Amino acid sequence: MTLYHFGNCLALVYAPYHMAYKFSGISEYATFSKCVYAGGLYIFTQLCKMLLLATFFPDSDSAQLNGEYDVFMEILKATVDFADLLGLYFAMNSVPGKGHAKILTAAIGWASAEVLVTRSILLWVGARGSEFDWRYVRSCAESNVALLQHASAAALVWLWARSDLPRRHVPLVLALLVLAPYRALLEDGVGSVLSLSAWALLALRAAHAAGVGLAALGIYAVLAQQIGF
Amino acid sequence: MWLDEADGFAEIFKGYLPYYLLVALPIFIIMSPVNPVAASHEFSVYRMQQYDLHTVPHGCRSSSFNLEGRFLTSWSTSRHCVVARVQDVSIDQFMEIRAKAGALLLVLPKNDTVLTPEEKEHIQLLEMAMIQQEVNAPVYFAQWTPEFEDIIRDLQHSFITDDKSGTALEAMFNSVSSNGYQIVVSATAPQKMDSKPTTLHGKLVGRAGAAQTIVVAAHYDSNAVVPELSQGADSNASGAVAVLELARIFSRLYSSPTVRGGPSLLFVLTSAGHSLNYFSVKKWLEERLDSTDASLLQDVSFVMCLDSISSSTDITMHVSKPPKPGGAAHSLKGRLRAPVAHKKINLADETLAWPHERFSIRRMTAFTLSSLQSHKDPSRSSVLDTASGGALHNLSANVARIARALASHVYNLTAEGSDEDLALFDDALGVDEAAIKHWYNYLSSQSRAPQTVTTTAPNSGLTAALERALSRYMEVTVSVHAVDKREPEYTLYSPTRAILYVYSVKPAVFDLILTLAIVAYLTVVYFAIQLFPRFYEEYAKIVTGKAKVH
Repeated sequence: MTLYHFGNCLALVYAPYHMAYKFSGISEYATFSKCVYAGGLYIFTQLCKMLLLATFFPDSDSAQLNGEYDVFMEILKATVDFADLLGLYFAMNSVPGKGHAKILTAAIGWASAEVLVTRSILLWVGARGSEFDWRYVRSCAESNVALLQHASAAALVWLWARSDLPRRHVPLVLALLVLAPYRALLEDGVGSVLSLSAWALLALRAAHAAGVGLAALGIYAVLAQQIGF
Repeated sequence: MWLDEADGFAEIFKGYLPYYLLVALPIFIIMSPVNPVAASHEFSVYRMQQYDLHTVPHGCRSSSFNLEGRFLTSWSTSRHCVVARVQDVSIDQFMEIRAKAGALLLVLPKNDTVLTPEEKEHIQLLEMAMIQQEVNAPVYFAQWTPEFEDIIRDLQHSFITDDKSGTALEAMFNSVSSNGYQIVVSATAPQKMDSKPTTLHGKLVGRAGAAQTIVVAAHYDSNAVVPELSQGADSNASGAVAVLELARIFSRLYSSPTVRGGPSLLFVLTSAGHSLNYFSVKKWLEERLDSTDASLLQDVSFVMCLDSISSSTDITMHVSKPPKPGGAAHSLKGRLRAPVAHKKINLADETLAWPHERFSIRRMTAFTLSSLQSHKDPSRSSVLDTASGGALHNLSANVARIARALASHVYNLTAEGSDEDLALFDDALGVDEAAIKHWYNYLSSQSRAPQTVTTTAPNSGLTAALERALSRYMEVTVSVHAVDKREPEYTLYSPTRAILYVYSVKPAVFDLILTLAIVAYLTVVYFAIQLFPRFYEEYAKIVTGKAKVH
């Protein structure tokens, strides 16, 4: 029964990624190796980030023991996540082809690597145990939202890198890009202010990701029409 | 690179992954720990008493289980572990659980809960009923904790029942919304314990001319349905404390030859009491009387056993033969002004009623002083027998009363003594209340079940502490008794405690429903991706249309 539950969770994580890869048309470009490359870049970026955090930031565990929550420090730490955007940029540069293929390949590779590194162990250890917790199902659903988030972040990075981006859209793209690293922090902040439950927080994340995604898609549509994709 | 050659995911799945998974998955499953996640709740629990008395089994016979937890009213099969508060279980319910349930977990009342006398009596009677026969299912007791209260409340209001729910939808909703609990105890199988009861005795020698001996005896172990929680404050920490205090008082009187009393005083502390049929006393008497050195118990004037003397200030003298007028016991009775309760020894009973019967069988004049009216009083073996301030007060008063009666007997004082003499006498017999309080609290702060007391070496733990205390006043002899190997008089079993894990689980149907939900969700995602191009077209029309307006 518990292995069955693990299977359930796995299906919830894996199937959307597979469908996104299969039915979005990028599989026709035979870009699986590029996905793996993006995943590798993700892991490399995380290592660099960890190095940065470990070198320049004080030990957070001892501070958290006091129960204090240092907002400024958290913001500084989130700033390091700009490295993610840089990594996405490099990943997209290595993918040949049209804009949407670049964006999706990088985003799927990036998000899959994240799922593999951050959630697979938790699932393997947790969801297989005889103890039931909604946490694991929630974490699987969150990984679906993460795919959407990474796709919109990749789209924004791609848009920002284009020199022919209409001038009036630049501030919006820049603003969304700057906010991207602080996404998790903002969502948690709103969640704790409104004292949302874990499921409500998940819904908030999904809504946020959908909003940013729609905005990015709109600008992408404008640009695409302009350059005649 | 092979990845380049592979045409997407499907190719890899067709080519390498099945073989890879075939090897990797079993390795993963073997490598991962058996119990991959710690339970959300871990409790220390205490196993019910298990012992054989004259090879008649008593108590709980097994120790491990892994069953679904159910509340007292909603369990149905032997696959369920019944969880309940002790005060809620009736004796009939227990009998049914004993016959059919897979395991029983009882939560003791909260410490600061004030139990009504009826509730107390009910728990004590339940304990008696539980211990009378053997129980094949594992029975555990747990101390009250807020977490346990939550679990019990959850189980009590749980929708998981075996009754058919109204509709399938209702059943589905129930299985999603309610919590189930899997309760697991993995303890070693019950094993015989190596029990070596100990008897301590010390003698204050009287004046040379008189050879008579007065024996003051008490057992210091306790008995309850849970060995680890049998603190036995009244039965029989009170008796043991009284023996220690009497030893202190009379050692002062006997220290100088001029004020020494006539008869010798022998103080005895034994370690296997009423639950084990006063085994230590029996063995000790056998060793002392039947061995070559029988001088210790040669001319016993009387034996005074102290058992449960702290529940009130009324003391009853329990005898198996009415004291003869003119005898020493009669004299003491008069000085104590205690009523006599006469009960003949019934050897057909499983256990003897009072400790003095062991001495009476060996033809000594013996009686037991107790605050209890009857040996069947359930408070003698109850987990509720804990220390209290009122009991301590009663104990001090009773010790003073017994000390005065004993002293007036030893020095053969008459009631018509002058007031001055009596005042002097009271001064010498002053009870040290601080010492009594200290010993009473020390003894009743821990489990003194035979499983604990008789299985530790006599030079450590409680026995050693008592020996050291008694040896301050006199020379103490420690005798260790052994149980007969071939026909053991009694057998004790471990383990007495275990760790209980509570996993919150969902019923099997829940996972099926979850699968359905996930499939529905994935179908939605599938169509969303399929319809995305059309959505994009419409969306682009709206967005670019607006853009042109600007």
